[in-house]
Amino acid sequence: MAWVGAALVALLYPIPFERSGQIYYETVGFLVLLNAMLGIGWNIIGGWAGQFDFGPSIFFAIGAYTAALLSIHLGWNAWLALAGAVVVSVAICAALTYPVTRLRGHYFAIATVAMWMIAQPIGATWPLINGSQGLFIPVAPGASFVHGMLTMEFPGRGKGLGFYYLSLLLFVVALLGARAVERSKWGFYFRAVRDDQDGAEGIGIDSRLYKVIARCLMAAIFAAGGVLYGFWALAVFPDQVLEVNWNILPMMAAVVGGLGRLWGPVLGAVILIPISQLMTATLGAGPLAGRGIDLIIYGAVIMLIAGGRPNGLLSLPWARWAARVLGRAPARPLQG
Amino acid sequence: MAPLLQVESCTKRFGGLVANRDVSLIIESREIVGLIGPNGAGKTTLFNCISGALHPDEGRIVLDGTDISRARPERVCRLGIARTWQVVRSFGRMTVLENVICGALRRTSRVGPARARALELLAFTGLAGKEDAPAASLTLADKKRLEITRALATSPSLLLLDEAMSGLTPLETAAAVELVRRIHGDLGLAICVVEHVMEVVMPLSHRVVVLDHGEKLTEGPPETVSRDERVITAYLGERYRARA
Repeated sequence: MAWVGAALVALLYPIPFERSGQIYYETVGFLVLLNAMLGIGWNIIGGWAGQFDFGPSIFFAIGAYTAALLSIHLGWNAWLALAGAVVVSVAICAALTYPVTRLRGHYFAIATVAMWMIAQPIGATWPLINGSQGLFIPVAPGASFVHGMLTMEFPGRGKGLGFYYLSLLLFVVALLGARAVERSKWGFYFRAVRDDQDGAEGIGIDSRLYKVIARCLMAAIFAAGGVLYGFWALAVFPDQVLEVNWNILPMMAAVVGGLGRLWGPVLGAVILIPISQLMTATLGAGPLAGRGIDLIIYGAVIMLIAGGRPNGLLSLPWARWAARVLGRAPARPLQG
Repeated sequence: MAPLLQVESCTKRFGGLVANRDVSLIIESREIVGLIGPNGAGKTTLFNCISGALHPDEGRIVLDGTDISRARPERVCRLGIARTWQVVRSFGRMTVLENVICGALRRTSRVGPARARALELLAFTGLAGKEDAPAASLTLADKKRLEITRALATSPSLLLLDEAMSGLTPLETAAAVELVRRIHGDLGLAICVVEHVMEVVMPLSHRVVVLDHGEKLTEGPPETVSRDERVITAYLGERYRARA
């Protein structure tokens, strides 16, 4: 029941805004789904395999740039370019990650930060991707909505709606994929490596291999997200796709919602992104504009959740509360 | 027939400290070997070398004809050696059943059959009824039992137990000894136990190997070793002689 309800809300959410012309709220929905999807990806390496990756945005950038290059120079369709971007991103991730899987804990995390720092000057200067001037993705004029969904190109009205549904589609694919991984051998092995790496190796698990696999799954999802973002922004700039928020927001969504839980990053993104957007839209303007009040309140909300519920919001007794609200008998007898 | 495991003149140094010097050891299939010695004698180092956590500086370790001296732990496990640790290494945030499934996935890559095998083994080792408990919530005795179950799930031919009974109450120790006997009897494994409790090692082992200062002092049947003057001086102490 809850499932059907959530699916209906997700499907119907943009309809009233499309009718009233408030495209902004469709874009908020797009950003929520994009970050939820990235959070699901980050949760695979950070939540299940237990390796904190502070530089996942490099795969977001690789995805966006690869798709842009394939689209500009070879004229590939966006979906084909997405497939190519995922392949390139996974291959680069495997090559970059294998050497650093010797490192554990903080040292692995530092290595991922270093990779991100190295990526920035490369992005800003490499001629192939036009350095800091970025790449622009051309859009063919005058196409229908269906054509837009097939090409990720929306020259006129319908872009907000189109990208909402595109992000919903990729989000659902990421969610179902992560769910399948969680229940598979990989899911068991990731968590074994997280809980005790020596113990895992002792029962025959190649910890380095499974760390690489976990990060490559994350890289695939980040690449797909990067492609979507590139076609939405119609341009790829190094400072935008390597922005620190693409490292931080997916991670925070996972931690706030519930690290290592399938729905954790989804809940986290649904809470964090609208708050951030709302704060910017309301407090970012007016008499207090430019003083960062929006960011201060946003940061305070995150600290409140992280401090009050370190295991994430999904660890709260939702089932018991739901039972009480719906008037059913609680699963366990209440004390006193 | 060649022995299951052959340790040939193994030496392992940590800087200037020689943890194992020229240690040789044989374990036959279906044999229970006790490895004893005072603290710092090099028992755990030898275990680590056999299981691939460390590699010997000199000498060779051969399992069933395959040289495993330089093999990594996951490969050693695949070749048929499973171990437990002195300090338990259960997967604390996973359930008891999930822990054992991780072990059973060594022999099948499908979770369904691995789950069936794990349930079977949990019933065998006496952890039935605790399948869904988080591993971190178990008592020490049950954690050690879980680790043995997880090791068994990898279908080893040799099981290395590193102080599987230390820190247990007498009652729990008796139950653990009983479990080791059943693993040997019903599953037909070779077992090597490192243990401090003589009352456990002596009746359990077919053969006892004594390490002291990293070197093999002697080996033989438990009743011979426990009367050996050098062993009494180095390890057992005069009180043991009095009791024996």
